[in-house]
Amino acid sequence: MIFREVEDRDLIAKARRGHVDAYNVLVSRWEKRVFNYLLRLVSNREDAMDLSQDVFLKAYQNLKKLEDPAKFPGWLFRIAHNEAFSLLRKNRPEGEIAGELKSGESSSRMFPIELNLAVQSALGRLSDDQREAVLLKVYQGFKFEEMAEILSCPVSTVKSRLYTALDLLKQTLAPVNMGGTE
Amino acid sequence: MNCSSVDLKAHFLGETARAEKNSVEDHLRACQNCREELDRLKLTDATLRTLVDEEPPQRIAFVSDKVFEPRWYQTIWRSGPAMGFASAALLAAAIVAHGFSVNGPARQVATPTVNTAQIEQRIEREVNNRLDAVVAKQRQQTVEMLDAAEKRFEAKRQTDLAVVQQVAQYYQKKTAQLMVAVNQERPPQ
Repeated sequence: MIFREVEDRDLIAKARRGHVDAYNVLVSRWEKRVFNYLLRLVSNREDAMDLSQDVFLKAYQNLKKLEDPAKFPGWLFRIAHNEAFSLLRKNRPEGEIAGELKSGESSSRMFPIELNLAVQSALGRLSDDQREAVLLKVYQGFKFEEMAEILSCPVSTVKSRLYTALDLLKQTLAPVNMGGTE
Repeated sequence: MNCSSVDLKAHFLGETARAEKNSVEDHLRACQNCREELDRLKLTDATLRTLVDEEPPQRIAFVSDKVFEPRWYQTIWRSGPAMGFASAALLAAAIVAHGFSVNGPARQVATPTVNTAQIEQRIEREVNNRLDAVVAKQRQQTVEMLDAAEKRFEAKRQTDLAVVQQVAQYYQKKTAQLMVAVNQERPPQ
Protein backbone atom coordinates (compact mmCIF):
# COMPACT_ATOMS: atom_id res chain seq x y z
CA MET A 1 0.00 0.00 0.00
CA ILE A 2 2.86 2.37 0.85
CA PHE A 3 4.74 1.47 -2.34
CA ARG A 4 1.59 1.99 -4.39
CA GLU A 5 1.11 5.44 -2.84
CA VAL A 6 4.68 6.42 -3.72
CA GLU A 7 4.18 5.23 -7.27
CA ASP A 8 0.98 7.24 -7.66
CA ARG A 9 2.75 10.32 -6.34
CA ASP A 10 5.55 9.79 -8.84
CA LEU A 11 3.07 9.46 -11.69
CA ILE A 12 1.27 12.62 -10.59
CA ALA A 13 4.57 14.52 -10.54
CA LYS A 14 5.39 13.30 -14.06
CA ALA A 15 1.89 14.06 -15.35
CA ARG A 16 2.21 17.59 -13.96
CA ARG A 17 5.32 18.05 -16.11
CA GLY A 18 3.26 17.13 -19.20
CA HIS A 19 3.94 13.37 -19.43
CA VAL A 20 0.66 12.09 -20.83
CA ASP A 21 1.80 8.47 -20.69
CA ALA A 22 2.36 8.73 -16.93
CA TYR A 23 -1.16 10.12 -16.57
CA ASN A 24 -2.54 7.26 -18.67
CA VAL A 25 -0.98 4.78 -16.23
CA LEU A 26 -2.63 6.65 -13.35
CA VAL A 27 -5.97 6.55 -15.20
CA SER A 28 -5.68 2.81 -15.81
CA ARG A 29 -5.23 2.30 -12.05
CA TRP A 30 -8.31 4.29 -11.05
CA GLU A 31 -10.75 4.05 -13.98
CA LYS A 32 -12.47 0.85 -12.78
CA ARG A 33 -13.16 2.25 -9.29
CA VAL A 34 -14.35 5.60 -10.62
CA PHE A 35 -16.51 3.95 -13.31
CA ASN A 36 -18.22 1.61 -10.81
CA TYR A 37 -18.80 4.44 -8.33
CA LEU A 38 -20.43 6.52 -11.08
CA LEU A 39 -22.35 3.56 -12.50
CA ARG A 40 -23.94 2.79 -9.11
CA LEU A 41 -24.70 6.46 -8.63
CA VAL A 42 -26.26 7.31 -12.01
CA SER A 43 -27.46 3.75 -12.88
CA ASN A 44 -26.61 4.09 -16.56
CA ARG A 45 -23.57 2.56 -18.25
CA GLU A 46 -23.20 5.15 -21.03
CA ASP A 47 -23.59 8.08 -18.65
CA ALA A 48 -21.10 6.48 -16.25
CA MET A 49 -18.57 6.04 -19.07
CA ASP A 50 -19.01 9.62 -20.33
CA LEU A 51 -18.72 10.96 -16.80
CA SER A 52 -15.59 8.88 -16.15
CA GLN A 53 -13.92 10.43 -19.19
CA ASP A 54 -14.93 13.92 -18.07
CA VAL A 55 -13.65 13.23 -14.56
CA PHE A 56 -10.19 12.16 -15.76
CA LEU A 57 -9.98 15.04 -18.22
CA LYS A 58 -10.85 17.57 -15.50
CA ALA A 59 -8.41 15.90 -13.14
CA TYR A 60 -5.63 16.25 -15.74
CA GLN A 61 -6.46 19.89 -16.40
CA ASN A 62 -6.45 20.69 -12.67
CA LEU A 63 -3.64 18.41 -11.53
CA LYS A 64 -1.44 21.39 -10.67
CA LYS A 65 -4.06 22.56 -8.15
CA LEU A 66 -3.74 19.32 -6.15
CA GLU A 67 -1.62 20.47 -3.21
CA ASP A 68 -0.94 17.10 -1.58
CA PRO A 69 -0.55 14.17 -4.03
CA ALA A 70 -1.30 11.75 -1.15
CA LYS A 71 -4.86 13.11 -1.22
CA PHE A 72 -5.33 12.18 -4.89
CA PRO A 73 -8.04 9.51 -4.28
CA GLY A 74 -10.31 11.85 -2.31
CA TRP A 75 -9.63 14.70 -4.74
CA LEU A 76 -10.48 12.47 -7.73
CA PHE A 77 -13.72 11.25 -6.14
CA ARG A 78 -14.64 14.82 -5.31
CA ILE A 79 -14.49 15.64 -9.04
CA ALA A 80 -16.49 12.48 -9.76
CA HIS A 81 -19.08 13.46 -7.14
CA ASN A 82 -19.48 16.94 -8.66
CA GLU A 83 -19.83 15.55 -12.19
CA ALA A 84 -22.34 12.90 -11.14
CA PHE A 85 -24.53 15.29 -9.19
CA SER A 86 -24.57 17.86 -12.02
CA LEU A 87 -25.99 15.12 -14.24
CA LEU A 88 -28.41 13.83 -11.60
CA ARG A 89 -29.73 17.34 -10.96
CA LYS A 90 -30.17 17.88 -14.69
CA ASN A 91 -31.89 14.55 -15.36
CA ARG A 92 -33.99 14.08 -12.29
CA PRO A 93 -36.23 16.36 -10.25
CA GLU A 94 -35.09 16.75 -6.65
CA GLY A 95 -36.20 14.08 -4.19
CA GLU A 96 -37.20 11.53 -6.78
CA ILE A 97 -36.04 8.03 -5.91
CA ALA A 98 -34.75 5.75 -8.63
CA GLY A 99 -35.23 2.02 -8.98
CA GLU A 100 -38.03 1.36 -6.51
CA LEU A 101 -38.18 -2.30 -5.53
CA LYS A 102 -41.64 -3.74 -5.81
CA SER A 103 -42.93 -5.50 -2.71
CA GLY A 104 -42.31 -9.22 -2.73
CA GLU A 105 -39.70 -8.87 -5.47
CA SER A 106 -36.91 -10.29 -3.37
CA SER A 107 -37.07 -14.03 -3.16
CA SER A 108 -36.30 -16.07 -0.10
CA ARG A 109 -33.69 -18.02 -2.01
CA MET A 110 -31.11 -16.23 -4.11
CA PHE A 111 -28.71 -17.31 -6.83
CA PRO A 112 -25.64 -15.11 -7.53
CA ILE A 113 -27.27 -13.15 -10.36
CA GLU A 114 -30.48 -12.65 -8.39
CA LEU A 115 -28.41 -11.56 -5.39
CA ASN A 116 -26.65 -8.98 -7.56
CA LEU A 117 -29.99 -7.66 -8.77
CA ALA A 118 -31.40 -7.58 -5.24
CA VAL A 119 -28.42 -5.55 -3.99
CA GLN A 120 -28.69 -3.19 -6.97
CA SER A 121 -32.42 -2.72 -6.32
CA ALA A 122 -31.82 -2.15 -2.61
CA LEU A 123 -29.22 0.52 -3.42
CA GLY A 124 -31.65 2.01 -5.94
CA ARG A 125 -34.24 2.52 -3.22
CA LEU A 126 -31.93 4.86 -1.33
CA SER A 127 -31.80 8.59 -2.03
CA ASP A 128 -28.83 9.76 -4.12
CA ASP A 129 -27.10 11.17 -1.03
CA GLN A 130 -27.60 8.01 1.03
CA ARG A 131 -26.50 5.74 -1.84
CA GLU A 132 -23.37 7.82 -2.38
CA ALA A 133 -22.47 7.57 1.32
CA VAL A 134 -22.70 3.75 1.09
CA LEU A 135 -20.66 3.68 -2.12
CA LEU A 136 -17.88 5.80 -0.64
CA LYS A 137 -17.74 3.89 2.66
CA VAL A 138 -18.53 0.26 1.83
CA TYR A 139 -17.18 0.00 -1.71
CA GLN A 140 -14.41 2.64 -1.73
CA GLY A 141 -13.33 2.43 1.93
CA PHE A 142 -13.03 6.17 2.61
CA LYS A 143 -12.92 7.45 6.20
CA PHE A 144 -15.66 9.75 7.55
CA GLU A 145 -13.28 12.75 7.36
CA GLU A 146 -12.37 12.01 3.73
CA MET A 147 -16.04 11.55 2.83
CA ALA A 148 -16.84 14.92 4.40
CA GLU A 149 -14.18 16.52 2.16
CA ILE A 150 -15.44 14.76 -0.95
CA LEU A 151 -19.06 15.70 -0.26
CA SER A 152 -18.32 19.18 1.15
CA CYS A 153 -20.42 18.61 4.25
CA PRO A 154 -19.83 18.06 7.99
CA VAL A 155 -18.90 14.62 9.33
CA SER A 156 -22.21 14.58 11.24
CA THR A 157 -24.11 14.80 7.92
CA VAL A 158 -22.02 11.99 6.46
CA LYS A 159 -22.78 9.79 9.46
CA SER A 160 -26.48 10.61 9.38
CA ARG A 161 -26.79 9.71 5.68
CA LEU A 162 -24.77 6.53 6.07
CA TYR A 163 -26.53 5.31 9.20
CA THR A 164 -30.00 5.87 7.70
CA ALA A 165 -28.89 4.08 4.54
CA LEU A 166 -27.57 1.11 6.52
CA ASP A 167 -30.85 0.83 8.46
CA LEU A 168 -32.84 0.85 5.22
CA LEU A 169 -30.52 -1.66 3.56
CA LYS A 170 -30.74 -3.93 6.60
CA GLN A 171 -34.52 -4.04 6.21
CA THR A 172 -34.54 -4.35 2.41
CA LEU A 173 -31.91 -7.07 2.28
CA ALA A 174 -33.23 -9.01 5.29
CA PRO A 175 -35.17 -11.56 3.14
CA VAL A 176 -32.05 -12.03 1.01
CA ASN A 177 -29.92 -12.60 4.08
CA MET A 178 -32.44 -15.07 5.49
CA GLY A 179 -32.34 -16.96 2.18
CA GLY A 180 -28.57 -16.98 2.18
CA THR A 181 -28.38 -18.55 5.61
CA GLU A 182 -30.75 -21.41 4.84
CA MET B 1 -21.83 2.40 28.91
CA ASN B 2 -25.42 1.65 27.83
CA CYS B 3 -26.94 0.77 24.44
CA SER B 4 -27.93 4.34 23.54
CA SER B 5 -24.43 5.68 24.17
CA VAL B 6 -22.78 3.01 22.00
CA ASP B 7 -22.19 4.05 18.35
CA LEU B 8 -22.40 0.50 17.05
CA LYS B 9 -22.31 1.48 13.37
CA ALA B 10 -19.15 3.56 13.81
CA HIS B 11 -17.60 0.62 15.67
CA PHE B 12 -18.61 -1.77 12.87
CA LEU B 13 -17.24 0.60 10.21
CA GLY B 14 -13.89 0.83 12.00
CA GLU B 15 -14.32 4.50 12.90
CA THR B 16 -14.24 4.20 16.71
CA ALA B 17 -11.34 5.87 18.51
CA ARG B 18 -8.94 3.43 20.20
CA ALA B 19 -9.87 4.66 23.69
CA GLU B 20 -13.57 4.07 23.04
CA LYS B 21 -13.08 0.74 21.28
CA ASN B 22 -12.46 -1.25 24.47
CA SER B 23 -15.55 0.06 26.23
CA VAL B 24 -17.71 -0.76 23.17
CA GLU B 25 -16.29 -4.28 23.14
CA ASP B 26 -16.97 -4.63 26.88
CA HIS B 27 -20.56 -3.55 26.29
CA LEU B 28 -20.93 -6.02 23.41
CA ARG B 29 -19.82 -8.90 25.63
CA ALA B 30 -22.54 -7.98 28.12
CA CYS B 31 -25.40 -7.03 25.75
CA GLN B 32 -27.19 -9.67 23.68
CA ASN B 33 -29.26 -7.08 21.73
CA CYS B 34 -26.21 -5.15 20.54
CA ARG B 35 -24.45 -8.38 19.55
CA GLU B 36 -27.45 -9.33 17.42
CA GLU B 37 -27.55 -5.85 15.87
CA LEU B 38 -23.85 -6.14 15.05
CA ASP B 39 -24.50 -9.51 13.38
CA ARG B 40 -27.25 -7.96 11.26
CA LEU B 41 -24.88 -5.18 10.18
CA LYS B 42 -22.21 -7.73 9.28
CA LEU B 43 -24.70 -9.72 7.24
CA THR B 44 -25.93 -6.60 5.39
CA ASP B 45 -22.35 -5.56 4.67
CA ALA B 46 -21.47 -9.05 3.39
CA THR B 47 -24.53 -9.01 1.11
CA LEU B 48 -23.62 -5.55 -0.23
CA ARG B 49 -20.12 -6.75 -1.02
CA THR B 50 -21.43 -9.54 -3.26
CA LEU B 51 -22.04 -6.86 -5.90
CA VAL B 52 -19.36 -7.48 -8.51
CA ASP B 53 -17.40 -4.56 -9.98
CA GLU B 54 -17.93 -4.16 -13.71
CA GLU B 55 -15.16 -3.56 -16.22
CA PRO B 56 -15.53 -0.18 -17.98
CA PRO B 57 -16.86 -0.78 -21.53
CA GLN B 58 -13.82 0.98 -22.94
CA ARG B 59 -10.42 2.06 -21.69
CA ILE B 60 -9.84 5.74 -21.01
CA ALA B 61 -6.62 7.03 -22.51
CA PHE B 62 -5.35 10.46 -23.43
CA VAL B 63 -3.26 11.23 -26.48
CA SER B 64 -0.31 13.56 -26.25
CA ASP B 65 -1.28 16.79 -28.00
CA LYS B 66 1.70 18.96 -29.01
CA VAL B 67 -0.41 22.10 -28.71
CA PHE B 68 -0.87 21.58 -24.96
CA GLU B 69 2.59 20.24 -24.21
CA PRO B 70 5.07 22.66 -22.62
CA ARG B 71 7.51 24.32 -25.01
CA TRP B 72 11.19 23.34 -24.79
CA TYR B 73 12.05 26.64 -23.12
CA GLN B 74 9.22 26.13 -20.58
CA THR B 75 10.59 22.67 -19.74
CA ILE B 76 14.11 24.07 -19.28
CA TRP B 77 12.82 27.04 -17.30
CA ARG B 78 11.02 24.71 -14.87
CA SER B 79 14.08 22.48 -14.44
CA GLY B 80 16.68 23.97 -12.07
CA PRO B 81 19.66 21.68 -12.92
CA ALA B 82 19.02 21.93 -16.66
CA MET B 83 18.82 25.72 -16.38
CA GLY B 84 22.21 25.77 -14.58
CA PHE B 85 23.76 23.51 -17.19
CA ALA B 86 22.37 25.62 -20.02
CA SER B 87 23.77 28.80 -18.43
CA ALA B 88 27.22 27.18 -18.05
CA ALA B 89 27.15 25.96 -21.68
CA LEU B 90 26.14 29.43 -22.89
CA LEU B 91 28.99 31.01 -20.94
CA ALA B 92 31.53 28.51 -22.35
CA ALA B 93 30.26 29.13 -25.89
CA ALA B 94 30.58 32.89 -25.40
CA ILE B 95 34.22 32.51 -24.23
CA VAL B 96 35.12 30.29 -27.23
CA ALA B 97 33.37 32.66 -29.66
CA HIS B 98 35.24 35.59 -28.18
CA GLY B 99 38.57 33.75 -28.62
CA PHE B 100 37.85 33.08 -32.31
CA SER B 101 36.72 36.62 -32.96
CA VAL B 102 40.06 38.01 -31.70
CA ASN B 103 42.51 35.61 -33.46
CA GLY B 104 40.25 33.33 -35.42
CA PRO B 105 41.10 31.31 -38.55
CA ALA B 106 39.95 32.44 -41.97
CA ARG B 107 36.30 31.55 -42.24
CA GLN B 108 34.96 29.52 -45.13
CA VAL B 109 31.32 29.91 -45.96
CA ALA B 110 29.80 26.79 -47.47
CA THR B 111 27.17 27.34 -50.09
CA PRO B 112 24.15 25.20 -49.29
CA THR B 113 23.05 22.86 -52.05
CA VAL B 114 19.46 21.61 -52.16
CA ASN B 115 18.94 18.00 -53.16
CA THR B 116 15.21 17.46 -53.53
CA ALA B 117 15.54 13.71 -54.15
CA GLN B 118 17.32 13.27 -50.81
CA ILE B 119 14.70 15.35 -49.03
CA GLU B 120 11.88 13.29 -50.55
CA GLN B 121 13.66 10.10 -49.53
CA ARG B 122 14.00 11.32 -45.98
CA ILE B 123 10.36 12.37 -45.83
CA GLU B 124 9.25 8.99 -47.18
CA ARG B 125 11.46 7.16 -44.71
CA GLU B 126 10.13 9.23 -41.84
CA VAL B 127 6.49 8.72 -42.91
CA ASN B 128 7.04 4.96 -43.20
CA ASN B 129 8.63 4.84 -39.76
CA ARG B 130 5.75 6.73 -38.18
CA LEU B 131 3.21 4.58 -40.02
CA ASP B 132 4.90 1.38 -38.85
CA ALA B 133 4.87 2.66 -35.28
CA VAL B 134 1.15 3.47 -35.44
CA VAL B 135 0.28 0.10 -37.00
CA ALA B 136 2.35 -1.73 -34.36
CA LYS B 137 0.69 0.22 -31.57
CA GLN B 138 -2.79 -0.52 -32.93
CA ARG B 139 -1.93 -4.21 -33.33
CA GLN B 140 -0.75 -4.30 -29.72
CA GLN B 141 -3.94 -2.59 -28.55
CA THR B 142 -6.09 -5.07 -30.50
CA VAL B 143 -4.24 -8.01 -28.93
CA GLU B 144 -4.72 -6.51 -25.46
CA MET B 145 -8.41 -5.87 -26.09
CA LEU B 146 -8.91 -9.44 -27.33
CA ASP B 147 -7.14 -10.81 -24.26
CA ALA B 148 -9.29 -8.70 -21.97
CA ALA B 149 -12.47 -9.79 -23.79
CA GLU B 150 -11.47 -13.45 -23.54
CA LYS B 151 -10.87 -13.09 -19.83
CA ARG B 152 -14.24 -11.38 -19.37
CA PHE B 153 -16.05 -14.11 -21.31
CA GLU B 154 -14.29 -16.81 -19.33
CA ALA B 155 -15.24 -15.16 -16.03
CA LYS B 156 -18.86 -14.84 -17.21
CA ARG B 157 -18.85 -18.48 -18.34
CA GLN B 158 -17.59 -19.60 -14.93
CA THR B 159 -20.28 -17.55 -13.17
CA ASP B 160 -23.01 -18.98 -15.42
CA LEU B 161 -21.65 -22.47 -14.86
CA ALA B 162 -21.79 -21.97 -11.09
CA VAL B 163 -25.40 -20.77 -11.37
CA VAL B 164 -26.38 -23.75 -13.51
CA GLN B 165 -24.74 -26.10 -11.00
CA GLN B 166 -26.63 -24.44 -8.16
CA VAL B 167 -29.91 -24.77 -10.05
CA ALA B 168 -29.20 -28.42 -10.78
CA GLN B 169 -28.36 -29.09 -7.12
CA TYR B 170 -31.51 -27.31 -6.03
CA TYR B 171 -33.70 -29.43 -8.29
CA GLN B 172 -31.88 -32.63 -7.34
CA LYS B 173 -32.55 -31.82 -3.70
CA LYS B 174 -36.20 -31.05 -4.42
CA THR B 175 -36.61 -34.29 -6.41
CA ALA B 176 -35.06 -36.29 -3.57
CA GLN B 177 -37.40 -34.60 -1.08
CA LEU B 178 -40.41 -35.42 -3.30
CA MET B 179 -39.31 -39.04 -3.66
CA VAL B 180 -39.01 -39.36 0.11
CA ALA B 181 -42.44 -37.76 0.57
CA VAL B 182 -44.03 -40.06 -2.03
CA ASN B 183 -42.44 -43.14 -0.46
CA GLN B 184 -43.68 -42.11 2.98
CA GLU B 185 -47.24 -41.55 1.75
CA ARG B 186 -47.42 -44.77 -0.30
CA PRO B 187 -49.39 -47.49 1.64
CA PRO B 188 -47.33 -50.52 2.58
CA GLN B 189 -47.87 -53.42 0.19
